[in-house]
Amino acid sequence: MIRILRLLQNIPAFLGLMVLPWLLGSCSNINHKQSTLDPKGIVAQNQYDIFMLSIWITIFLFCAVGGCLLFVLWKYRVKGEDDAKEIPPQTHGNPKIETSLILFSSLILVILAIPTLQGIVLFNRVPDPNDTEMLKKLKLERSAVEDAITVNVTGKRFFWVFEYPEYGIVTANELVFPASKAVRLNLRTTDVIHSFWLPKLAGKMDLMPGQENFIWFVADQEKLLFQTDKEGHKTPATIAEAMPAVHDGSLREAVFKDRSFFDEFDPVGGLFYGQCAEFCGNSHAYMQFRAMAQTDADFDEWVHRFQSLQAKEKPEQYNSEKAYKAGDTVLLKDSSLGEKAHREWQAAVDVDKGQAPEVGNEAWKKKNQDDYEMGRNHFQTSLCTQCHAVNSTGLGAIGPNLTLFGLRTSLAAGWMQNDRKNLTEWLRDSDKIKFGNLMWNHEVVKNYQPTEEEKDKGVVQHPVRELKNDPKKIEQLVTYLLGQN
Amino acid sequence: MSEVVAAHADEHHEPYTSTGIPTKKVLMWAFLGSDCMFFGTLISTHLIYRKISATVNGKYLDIEKIFDIELTSFSTFILLASSLFMALAVSAIHKGNLTSTRWMLFGTIIFGAIFLACQVYEFTHFAYAPGHELTLSTYQGEAHVFGSTFYVLTGTHGTHVAIGVFWLLGWLAYSFTGKMSTADAMDIECCGLYWHFVDIVWIIIFPVVYLMEYAF
Amino acid sequence: MATESVKYVSPETKSKTLLDIFRRPDQHATGIVDWLTTIDHKKIGLLYGLVALCSLIFGGIQALLIRSQLWGPNMEILSQREYNQMFTMHGTIMVFLVIMPLSAAFFNFIMPLQIGARDVAFPRMNALSLWCFVAGAIILNMSWFFTGGAPAIGWFAYSPLTDTGFEEVTRDMGPDFWVFGIQVLGLASLLASFNFIATIINMRAPGMTLMRMPVFCWMTLVVSFLIILAFPAITIALVELMFDRNYGTNFYDFLEGGKPHLWQHLFWIFGHPEVYILILPAMGIVSEVIPTFSRKPLFGYGLVIFSGAIIGFMGFAVWSHHMFTTGMGIVATSAFSMLTMLIAIPTGVKIFNWIGTMWGGKIRFDTPMLFALGFITMFMVGGFTGIMHSSVPVDMQQQDTYFVVAHFHYVLIGGALFGLFCGFYFWLPKMTGKMLNEKMGKVVFTLMFIGFNTTFFPMHYLGMIGQPRRTHSYNAGHGFEQWNQIATIGAFILGTGILIGVIQFMRSFRDKSLKPAGKNPWDARSLEWTLSSPVKEYNFARTPIIKARDQAWENNYGPRDLHSEKEPLDHHGVHMPDHSWYPLFTAIGFLVLVIGMLFHSSVGAEGEIIRNYTVAIIGGIIAITGMIMWSLEGPGGYHLFPEEDDE
Repeated sequence: MIRILRLLQNIPAFLGLMVLPWLLGSCSNINHKQSTLDPKGIVAQNQYDIFMLSIWITIFLFCAVGGCLLFVLWKYRVKGEDDAKEIPPQTHGNPKIETSLILFSSLILVILAIPTLQGIVLFNRVPDPNDTEMLKKLKLERSAVEDAITVNVTGKRFFWVFEYPEYGIVTANELVFPASKAVRLNLRTTDVIHSFWLPKLAGKMDLMPGQENFIWFVADQEKLLFQTDKEGHKTPATIAEAMPAVHDGSLREAVFKDRSFFDEFDPVGGLFYGQCAEFCGNSHAYMQFRAMAQTDADFDEWVHRFQSLQAKEKPEQYNSEKAYKAGDTVLLKDSSLGEKAHREWQAAVDVDKGQAPEVGNEAWKKKNQDDYEMGRNHFQTSLCTQCHAVNSTGLGAIGPNLTLFGLRTSLAAGWMQNDRKNLTEWLRDSDKIKFGNLMWNHEVVKNYQPTEEEKDKGVVQHPVRELKNDPKKIEQLVTYLLGQN
Repeated sequence: MSEVVAAHADEHHEPYTSTGIPTKKVLMWAFLGSDCMFFGTLISTHLIYRKISATVNGKYLDIEKIFDIELTSFSTFILLASSLFMALAVSAIHKGNLTSTRWMLFGTIIFGAIFLACQVYEFTHFAYAPGHELTLSTYQGEAHVFGSTFYVLTGTHGTHVAIGVFWLLGWLAYSFTGKMSTADAMDIECCGLYWHFVDIVWIIIFPVVYLMEYAF
Repeated sequence: MATESVKYVSPETKSKTLLDIFRRPDQHATGIVDWLTTIDHKKIGLLYGLVALCSLIFGGIQALLIRSQLWGPNMEILSQREYNQMFTMHGTIMVFLVIMPLSAAFFNFIMPLQIGARDVAFPRMNALSLWCFVAGAIILNMSWFFTGGAPAIGWFAYSPLTDTGFEEVTRDMGPDFWVFGIQVLGLASLLASFNFIATIINMRAPGMTLMRMPVFCWMTLVVSFLIILAFPAITIALVELMFDRNYGTNFYDFLEGGKPHLWQHLFWIFGHPEVYILILPAMGIVSEVIPTFSRKPLFGYGLVIFSGAIIGFMGFAVWSHHMFTTGMGIVATSAFSMLTMLIAIPTGVKIFNWIGTMWGGKIRFDTPMLFALGFITMFMVGGFTGIMHSSVPVDMQQQDTYFVVAHFHYVLIGGALFGLFCGFYFWLPKMTGKMLNEKMGKVVFTLMFIGFNTTFFPMHYLGMIGQPRRTHSYNAGHGFEQWNQIATIGAFILGTGILIGVIQFMRSFRDKSLKPAGKNPWDARSLEWTLSSPVKEYNFARTPIIKARDQAWENNYGPRDLHSEKEPLDHHGVHMPDHSWYPLFTAIGFLVLVIGMLFHSSVGAEGEIIRNYTVAIIGGIIAITGMIMWSLEGPGGYHLFPEEDDE
């Protein structure tokens, strides 16, 4: 069995089913973004191998049966008018032929059944680290399985929450994982059924309400080490080229550099595309996500950045009774930004008690530009924090967590490139881009009752629906959000 | 159900059938086979849900305190007894004894009605038992899946009994028109088949839905 | 209808009616009244066919809109919600309002003729199933005009998307229409199936043993059993959903302990047998056509029937293969995977036997035969991709992608629809008495075959490179564009082919220029071909006594002792039942009842729910009155006196 599989791997496998496209000559690449024909992980590879086995079996059967049919049609066709009137022998069947054909087809099914059963066990369970034989067969390092990380995936309409319980961090829509380790995914949902589909690494598994499902994957590092040009041709690449770091923005840079969001091929081998595969409502098509393979060091650094941002309290209020060290950040009211607005100040040198941050005080520096500060203030006062969280600010249980949002490559759950223009558009009227999204349609937003104070200001509905009339505010929010890097 | 076999139904002949079984009876059996699946689906839904529901949202539902097993045992007995009347009615019409048929039909109807009355009492009693409400739906406050499956299952059965009672009432009324004869035996037998089937379903529901709550 | 040889005798029972307009129509009824009150299985069959072909056009237009929307990335021909409504309604319509009723049309028209019966066992109940079917179609399509428009939940309506808590339009009524529509359609199918079962079991002509029955009748029997055993599951699931939506029960509400899994199980316990309900009639038709055009009896008749029955039986044991990705656990997943592979064997047997039938025959390539051959090849492709899906690891990738879309369209268009078109080209001469234009038929076949493969073959590839189904749009950069464009072009070719075909069928009833068909234009083999075309209203003047399996063939070519005989003419004549208004009346009652239920609740001034059942109760009363009047009116009828050979 295994020998047959090995044999199949060596053949340009897609040739089999794709005879027709081949003839049309318009398709030479199968490594599209979500292609199942280009597996990069052990689970997906297993699924692909069984798929190819089934392809060959069925092509064989199709040719045999179809050839037989053609032969019969040719040989026994009516030839001329006299022939049509002839009565062929009226045979009623042949039990021997029928029985042997049944036995033969059962045998063929057994060929498919054995790897199927093995495959079912494989994708349901991460191999036991002590099962050296199995690991050898899968060409897996023991450490890959032993140090497997866990991610709790929660599907919501229409985005993904990725929680790393071992590290205590939460992110959304872009799954970062170490290429050398297996990843266990616990799949949950808080609303309707979704399906987590990451074609190149693992198959799909549904997220069922009231139940936790499981899937796992591990990337095959050797297969990641390549770069792809615009036509889809692959060339070998170094680790740094194939898996640029997420935490310092080099991945974002590499993906955006001289490639459009809509190009068919990304230059980076370690970037994977996935999508919700179970119809979940209006904007089901827009519920996409990405997965990014990282080296161990880069992954640890990414985790570290997240932890340091999400764990600590937000910058404390300036306390005049306290001395500060260089690099400390404090918050202080700054009326130049507006009423009740705060600004972040960073100590340039060690500061004594009572040296309040203000413009002209050399010891303190403005940490950010004015737009950024304004954006942060809007974010906190416009009820964004009711649903979103940035770093440790906000409740963040309803909408996507926006920590390190500026490092993400995509927006609106994988649908748009994460840049100023798109983010502006998104904040202006997200319902137009993604009909039915929670940001626009959550109960809290729809049934929003403005306070008296807000009514005086002219706010009649939820601030996110008011943003349309306030391009300046949007711009400041965009600056703030993209500044999260 | 008084559709008459048209193609071969010549009033002057015994209708010919391939199997020798009257066609209406075949129809009835097919219907009952299908009805088995209806109840099978409902009963399995109940079985799947009965344990989950007992403690949903941390609220424990003490079924034993809600159920009134004495009453249900009584109504079960009544329904079983009604089957005896039904069987006697069928036998009487075959023999052409109209008076006996009428009385037996009457007995079946009365016992069916008693069963229905018990069920109505049961439903209202369960739904409003102070402290132990078994509610159908969230509209009535705290709701349990047990309530949903219980009411829909026993309610469907009750509807079957009610349809049976009305059907029998039809025959009872017909028996006073003076047209009833042994020619109607077939139709009454079909009615009997239905009645016995509904009975048998209850024999399954009673232990599975009621008694099991005391055992497991 | 009355010809010179038919003597008119006044009705024996004078029917009593409430109003004069509802006076019971007799054999002199004409025009619209005739069609509305008919209880003739042939006319009912034609009405089924008419409604189904209209629905086919309607569902086809939706399919073309879907394909146009997918022409390129980010198209805006349809909005998200419209697109979701389209694929929901497309699926529902094609399954419940096209393939099933088209099969029912053939069951109704052909099956009684094949077993030598003068009608089905319960003609008025047959009419009731027709009108219930029409009522269901009306209810389903009414949804377009009310709050929320048509349902946007997919044809399998996975809970909890149907839960009121997750609706995307406030008080969305679409799912309610869907729930009630399917229930009424289910009622129609159940009634029809009880009828067919009773007919096949009990109404066969003398000598027509079960093992002499044509395969088509066998498939009717198997499908009817599948329907009566499978529809209860969906009906209960729908009742539970109805209670959830309208009365706040918790069957599928996971927050209160309900399980969305339950819906999937109940749906697919119905849904998988449903697949065989759709395909077995087509297999039956093909099993009639291939022997005819090969001039040979069906190879391995017993095995073909046995495999059909096995497919039906096993169809109940493989439902969970639609749920491989829902996390059922290793054991359940493996078991259903193996069972699904097993079901491929009886399916393969049928294909072997069809080829075996042609082997050594004299094969003519008339249009019905072309469709039958198209059926075999297309169904083979669909079957093979089905085997791929039965392997769970493969399905983990293919589930809910265009690969699956390609698979089931190969089975349902390449299989079922080709089979049904094959049936039309084969039996329309029997229905109309006129031959169809052969050239036109071949044009239709060519267009359909090319269009179909151009549409759906690329979808295999689209699925493999990662396009999920039910997505209204896609971004550029996934490589989906050109294959979607090919598929869209193909869809329009296919649509054109189907449209021409449907027009051809409809015109053939009126077109006087067509050649008359005669009794047996194809030199076909089964009993219906011993009758004149079109068939007389009483079918058989004298009940035939069957001596062999392929009776029409044996009568022409077989030894004398296998020629069928006929029972002597009855001097009482042929008893024909009268028309009846009550099936229609009862169905209208059901329609009113359902509309009453759909609109029974409204929201009061303080947000409380006000329930008003008046309309529903009126509907119920109409339906019950209809049934009572129906049982009181009796079969009625009149006698016809055909001559010896007048059939």
